Amino acid sequence: MRHLFLIYGSLVAAAALGQSAAGQGKASAAAKETPAATRARAATSWTHPKTPWGDPDVQGTWTSDDCIGTPLNRPANLGDRLYYTEQELAQRQANLEKQQQNDLVETVAPNARVSTGSPGHWGERARRPCKQTSLVIDPPNGRVPDMLPEAKLRPIPEGAGNNNPKADSWEDFSYYIRCISRGVPGSIFPVIYGNGQQIVQGKGFVTILQEMVHEARVIPMDGRPHASPYIRSYMGDPRGHWEGNTLVVETTNFLGNRTGIVGNGGGTPTSDAMKLTERFTRTSPNEMRYEITIDDPKTYASSFKVGFPLTQEPGYQNFEYACHEGNYAMFDSLSGARAQEKKAAAKAAGAK
Amino acid sequence: MSDRRRACCVLLSTALLFLFAALPGGGQTPARTAPQIPRMPSGKPNFTGLWQVLGTADWDIRDHSAQAGPFFQLGAIGAMPAGQGIVEGGEIPYTPAAAKQQRENFKNRMKLDPEVKCYMPGIPRANYLPFPFQIIQSQRDIAFAYEFATANRVVNMGKAKEAAVDTWMGTSNGRWEGDVLVVDVTGLNGNSWFDRSGNFQTDSTHVVERFTLADADHISYEATIEDPAIFTRPWKISTVIYRRKEKNAQINEFKCVEYVEELIYGDLKKK
Repeated sequence: MRHLFLIYGSLVAAAALGQSAAGQGKASAAAKETPAATRARAATSWTHPKTPWGDPDVQGTWTSDDCIGTPLNRPANLGDRLYYTEQELAQRQANLEKQQQNDLVETVAPNARVSTGSPGHWGERARRPCKQTSLVIDPPNGRVPDMLPEAKLRPIPEGAGNNNPKADSWEDFSYYIRCISRGVPGSIFPVIYGNGQQIVQGKGFVTILQEMVHEARVIPMDGRPHASPYIRSYMGDPRGHWEGNTLVVETTNFLGNRTGIVGNGGGTPTSDAMKLTERFTRTSPNEMRYEITIDDPKTYASSFKVGFPLTQEPGYQNFEYACHEGNYAMFDSLSGARAQEKKAAAKAAGAK
Repeated sequence: MSDRRRACCVLLSTALLFLFAALPGGGQTPARTAPQIPRMPSGKPNFTGLWQVLGTADWDIRDHSAQAGPFFQLGAIGAMPAGQGIVEGGEIPYTPAAAKQQRENFKNRMKLDPEVKCYMPGIPRANYLPFPFQIIQSQRDIAFAYEFATANRVVNMGKAKEAAVDTWMGTSNGRWEGDVLVVDVTGLNGNSWFDRSGNFQTDSTHVVERFTLADADHISYEATIEDPAIFTRPWKISTVIYRRKEKNAQINEFKCVEYVEELIYGDLKKK
């Protein structure tokens, strides 16, 4: 089982992977098909499945892996261009194949510099190149709108993961590192692993089970009103309905000042006024379009939209992510910081 | 038997016969018709809903008297209420060594009980914690979302899968025996307890649960527990799980990690 202490090593790895979506698995026929051909094929040979009680059926274990490494904000030089060109995609496909070859290498050359982070195969890889240049799809420049001045004043938990590892208390760490939650966007936005989303539908309910950090979003579909505004939570209070075959989930009642709009719930914390509207649209047996509108009038000057594909992959499944139960990282970070302080104090005393 | 009493009996028997004859099936079916239960389009019982156990099994699955809690500061709030146990026959058949271990666990429960530390409760404990849980039943698999610690599991109703790794919540493979949902739980990591009294599991504990809708709002719950490492024979728990009927009842969030960090990491904080 993957273990939280590896997050540190993984963060380094994530930085190294950076802008190039890495990939494993052979380039499948589907990956080489043009989007138009895929759509055409889907349109002619596939009808949207229904549950036995008549709702659109969007069940399965879905992953956002294919857009691992795609930045939230579009690099400014790409302007308003949301999609890569065919030529750029071919290059990215080649990068994926190269990455796959690298992943298959099981040994390193003598004297090679190796990291102490997690082995490459612990991470998840895109299987086909992400067509988008950014996860933000609206506004047209693909960038999160300006933050309001008051939002900039909100404290951001530092600690491990940033380059300034203050570790006076667990409260210096993010809610993710503390194994509490990554929030709603942070639990589905593609990161280096743990992108699994298992959807199970019952009559009147849809539930989304998210591997990391073992979230279970139970979404009533019966039109009931939101819970009282006095009941607030990390994952908010979701209500769903169908618009055609699209699952629409509106979530409010957030605690506020906890998690942000970046993978793993990082970034500037959002506020208790945030309202999220998610749209899950299955476009073929193994593809789904995910879009989320983020409306947080206490944090951002305007609302914005993030979108990316979710796919089902052979053999891909959720595992139990027992994060808090195995959070040796917190013990080690705090005890390490105390040991360093003790050493520094002894050195200072010796110098006197 | 006097004639008079004999006549009385004959009369009663005739009346009973008449009563049975009036029922569908001509007296061959039980006097009570089967209760109406929610069903899936396939005809299988539908367990979808919000459920919770009443009682005090979370304190001790065995019969127990009321007693003081571990912290006097909590007063009556922290005290343990008396209650009927859910262990059939009353006794957990521990081996002598395991019985000793349970007593040690109880003594050190504030340090050792995984519930205190907000760890996932495991099976069967998740089902009778004093928190609700939501079942979402699809035409295939069945999801259980527990409020405590956002623990959850998906019962695989397809071809049984071997546990890939040991986990807190185990690997659940389900099947139908008529109207009974039978869930076979393996791959438990052995760190879970059954209750706050130190009754414990190991990584060879095997749990077979049986969920039966007694009527629309009650689940009759049974679990058979076997583990040759600590028990001398398989044993059984049984209780009732109630449907939460309040108009606005819904599963809430109890992410208890932040309530236990001071307890777990307090001594490592910068002074």
